[in-house]
Amino acid sequence: MIELKNTTKIYEINKNNKVTAIKDISFKIKKGELVVLKGVSGSGKSTILSLIAGVSRPTEGDVIVDSKRVSKLPDSFASKYRQESIGFIFQKYNLIPNLSVIDNVLIPLIPTNPNGEEITIKLDKVLNHFNLLDKRETIVKNLSGGEQQRVAIARALINEPNIIIADEPTANLDEALSLNFIDILGELKKEGKTIVIATHDPLFFNLDIVDRVLEIQGGVLSF
Amino acid sequence: MKNRINLYLVEFAINALLRAKSKNIFIIVVFTLLIALLASIFFITNSIKYELDQTIESLPQIIVQKIKAGREYDIEIDRVENIVTIAGVESVTPRVWGYYYFANAGVNFSIVGINQYEEQYKKSLENLVDRFDFDKLESNSSMIVGVGVKRVMSSSYYSDYFNFIKPDGTLKKVMIGGVFRGDTELESNDMIILPQKDAREIFGMSEDLATDIVVKVANPKEIPTIAGKIRLLYPDSRVLTKNDLKVSYQNIFDYKSGLFLALFTISLFTFFMIIYDKSSGLSSEEKREIGILKAVGWSIDDILKEKFYEASIISTVSYLLGVLIAFAFVYIFQAPLLRGIFEGYSELKTSFNLPFVFDMQTLFLLFFLSVPIYIGATIIPAWRASSLDVDEVIR
Repeated sequence: MIELKNTTKIYEINKNNKVTAIKDISFKIKKGELVVLKGVSGSGKSTILSLIAGVSRPTEGDVIVDSKRVSKLPDSFASKYRQESIGFIFQKYNLIPNLSVIDNVLIPLIPTNPNGEEITIKLDKVLNHFNLLDKRETIVKNLSGGEQQRVAIARALINEPNIIIADEPTANLDEALSLNFIDILGELKKEGKTIVIATHDPLFFNLDIVDRVLEIQGGVLSF
Repeated sequence: MKNRINLYLVEFAINALLRAKSKNIFIIVVFTLLIALLASIFFITNSIKYELDQTIESLPQIIVQKIKAGREYDIEIDRVENIVTIAGVESVTPRVWGYYYFANAGVNFSIVGINQYEEQYKKSLENLVDRFDFDKLESNSSMIVGVGVKRVMSSSYYSDYFNFIKPDGTLKKVMIGGVFRGDTELESNDMIILPQKDAREIFGMSEDLATDIVVKVANPKEIPTIAGKIRLLYPDSRVLTKNDLKVSYQNIFDYKSGLFLALFTISLFTFFMIIYDKSSGLSSEEKREIGILKAVGWSIDDILKEKFYEASIISTVSYLLGVLIAFAFVYIFQAPLLRGIFEGYSELKTSFNLPFVFDMQTLFLLFFLSVPIYIGATIIPAWRASSLDVDEVIR
């Protein structure tokens, strides 16, 4: 279960310029739920995702995931948490453009120093699942937007995390590719993954697979 | 098993370097050249210092010269009898040596006259010449010449003998009995060794005079005392001790190594400029990449390890290449351009070989001056970037 308790995040741009991204937000997401965070750009959706993923720490309040106070974890534990529990799909994919598909997908596995057999099994599984087997050696900057997104999803899933976080996943996709992504989400939900998506794409708001839509306005939850 | 080297991390580091191929090749080239320059300076300095130490070691303990009107004159041989009576003096030897100007080639030869009972010469000569037979030298009126002298004489068609012009205008024919070994060129290039009686004839020096007198002392600690006594005995003499000569050689070396110090400082300065530039920050692309790695589960430790591998590869490759280039430059190609700083000006320029001196300390010093500093300069900004909130880095 994911829980945000009175969470506030303030970004300090410089000494005289502070931006409150979210303010005193509290909510819970149950295991296996698919929750959409809705809101305009700058409303604080991405900040909430960062806090859940443990890539950022709240200024006040707590973020608790599966009884772990993620917001208080020291770096090595936070990294382990991200590695084992979180699959992050970024808005701009955040792939390393000059690396091949395989090398990008493998990045989360590298710190675990896996054996060759483990790598082969996991790689074959995700590449096959996302139809990337024939592109495995292609340098990602030479792929189309849709293909790059599939690489980003494959990378997010290679460690078989329980929580999938996606930040504006369809912002750079056409409708067909967006629908394809929704199919993938459906499959992941079926597998029991907890999914949190930040988006302002109306395509997501009335989907059967979506359990809840939380609307964020100006850094606070609007009910 | 947990502690085995993570080869995937090493492979990632290599890939990271290959991704920025041109930038990293440029860094390796600049870094290699700087290390090669620094190493060359060290190697040349070591070689010359070694050579100087060897030269100083072979110098006489005390040299007595006669001074008149502030100038050096030939000294009376009978002074030997008085000097040898000073307590602590082991042996006293008059020397006959000087310069002979060969007008045809416009060069000076250094002529040293020896006689077969002078033990100190015998030992040195055995080191300088492969086969040394003084009896043959004296009976044939022949000489041993340096490689440079041999070359100059041959170019004037004197391949077997040489005609010296004596002060009275007559000729003195001396056969070339041998040539010094090539590896002694620094000392022997312009040198001619011949029997003392022939040297006297060439210089027009009478039997009762010598160029100077060298004194050997039983206890080296007594050298200053004995030198003082000689000064008292012969106030018109200049008494030079081995230490005086050492200081004078050292001054020449220090003056010339000062030029090297300037080069050394410039290259070190350039190196630290690069290091400062590198440590002052990462590009936004590099920061973003660190953010991505952290976001997908890498710890600060993993990122620093990866950066450590990257920096180690670059700095170690540059270090090894730099040292190899310096070895080749100094010991195979004999340091063209740089060695000129140490070569004195002379008409018969020595073409000595820089002797190979393998000094682990120098290699360690170079290593610690380059590799750890570069690694530190790479890791510090990476540590700074990876310590930030990941979303701050990616945004």
